[in-house]
Amino acid sequence: MPVVDGVELPETPLLDELEKGPWPSFVKEIKRAAIEQEKAMKAGKKIKLPGSAKGLLKVLELAYKEKRTHWKHGGIVSVIGYGGGVIGRYCDLEDKVPEVWHFHTIRVNMPAGWFYTTKALRALCDAWEKWGSGLTNFHGSTGDIILLGTRTEHLQPMANALAYLDKFYGSPAPFDIGGSGSDLRTPSCCMGPSLCEFACYDTLKACYEFTMRYQNELHRPMWPYKFKIKCAGCPNDCIASKARADFAIIGTWKDEIQIDQEAVREYAKVIDIEEHVVKKCPTKAISWDGKELKIDNKNCIRCMHCINVMPKALKPGKERGATILIGGKAPFVDGAIIGWVAVPFIPENELIEKCCEILEAIWEWWDEEGKFRERVGELIWRKGMDEFLKVIGQKADVRMVYAPRNNPFIFWRELNP
Amino acid sequence: MAEEVNVEELKQKVLEYLAKKPWQVRDLAKVLRVKKRELDKIVQELINEGKATYWSSGSTTYVTTPEKLEEMEKKRSEMGAAE
Repeated sequence: MPVVDGVELPETPLLDELEKGPWPSFVKEIKRAAIEQEKAMKAGKKIKLPGSAKGLLKVLELAYKEKRTHWKHGGIVSVIGYGGGVIGRYCDLEDKVPEVWHFHTIRVNMPAGWFYTTKALRALCDAWEKWGSGLTNFHGSTGDIILLGTRTEHLQPMANALAYLDKFYGSPAPFDIGGSGSDLRTPSCCMGPSLCEFACYDTLKACYEFTMRYQNELHRPMWPYKFKIKCAGCPNDCIASKARADFAIIGTWKDEIQIDQEAVREYAKVIDIEEHVVKKCPTKAISWDGKELKIDNKNCIRCMHCINVMPKALKPGKERGATILIGGKAPFVDGAIIGWVAVPFIPENELIEKCCEILEAIWEWWDEEGKFRERVGELIWRKGMDEFLKVIGQKADVRMVYAPRNNPFIFWRELNP
Repeated sequence: MAEEVNVEELKQKVLEYLAKKPWQVRDLAKVLRVKKRELDKIVQELINEGKATYWSSGSTTYVTTPEKLEEMEKKRSEMGAAE
């Protein structure tokens, strides 16, 4: 058995392969956790799942060896009043690896924009080391903080610890459990105006408002299937809401891109504007005569390329708000399905109220008409956009583009490898 | 007053069903021929009173009674030990 820092670790030749290479390795982190757990136990620290990280290494190694999983899921949800946020996981090797027989996952609602203080992070980790394995995943696909592995009897105490994380663990604020199952999944947003000059509305405020207003929908699964809300501040859509959210709120503007001609001329000294901006415009809406940049705003499709290349010279317009896309989802097998424009523009000052109005109308219709495990986008395909538009009180409009972007991913290439 | 009696009766009936197996509220609403929205409220009250509880298959959430849940968890634990 390999001994690291005076701690014996299980033999894991297959997992060890995953430590090789330049990328971060979850195996390395689980081993670190195993060492820390052992040290904590030796120091007399009270932990509820001693040896769980070691156990996890054993189960994973066996799974790679046998090419089959040893995890079963489902069962108890176990936090009083909550129907979501806890995902039951059991290992079928109870006799061989009892340390991870129960290994439930808890989803924790992250702060809007994923802003933490180190105090909050320490408090979260302290509570989780006490009531669970100490292993975390920052963050899951929907954005929640994922706490990996605890026993059934520790679920309620951990939920209580989160609720009083400020009082007993020194966190600046308490935390709550996130969504899972057929409920409103934890709403998420980009960092928005807190760090980004392109934000066309306050994504953080919108995300917070939706989270607080729809606590019942978030914690009590009652719908045909999951429902995700994501708030992106501009058409760059850094949180890929168009491809992952049933209800994507993407910031945009109605008037003209703001141009600082002097700054454009400064850019002209370091980049070829004709080559890197004008020719790259997908609708050929930009012209440059060497002195002045002109944009035909009626033909701008908000691809953001020119703004991204010359952020000091170009800015989104002044009349800001958001576009609502409906029906996006990202299933593993079929690949991403991009949302459909449902509401072309809502002004910034009306955005939250109008979104709530639309959301509530959608949920009522979908809950009534949706089949088991049918996402709202699929219901729209089945019933027709016509019926959906009646539900949300909109008239058909040429701007309701079916898939306004066709590739959800940005492929980054190193320019000088 | 008459409506209150009906709600109580319905609650009792719901509990009888939940005691047999975990249900999805929409399916139970069809069986009991009540509006899903109405049943949602009743189930929520039962959960708040501690008479009903959630159970998850892993991907779908069901509602059952705490006694049935305990029975299922016990079975799971016995099956786990036998494997």
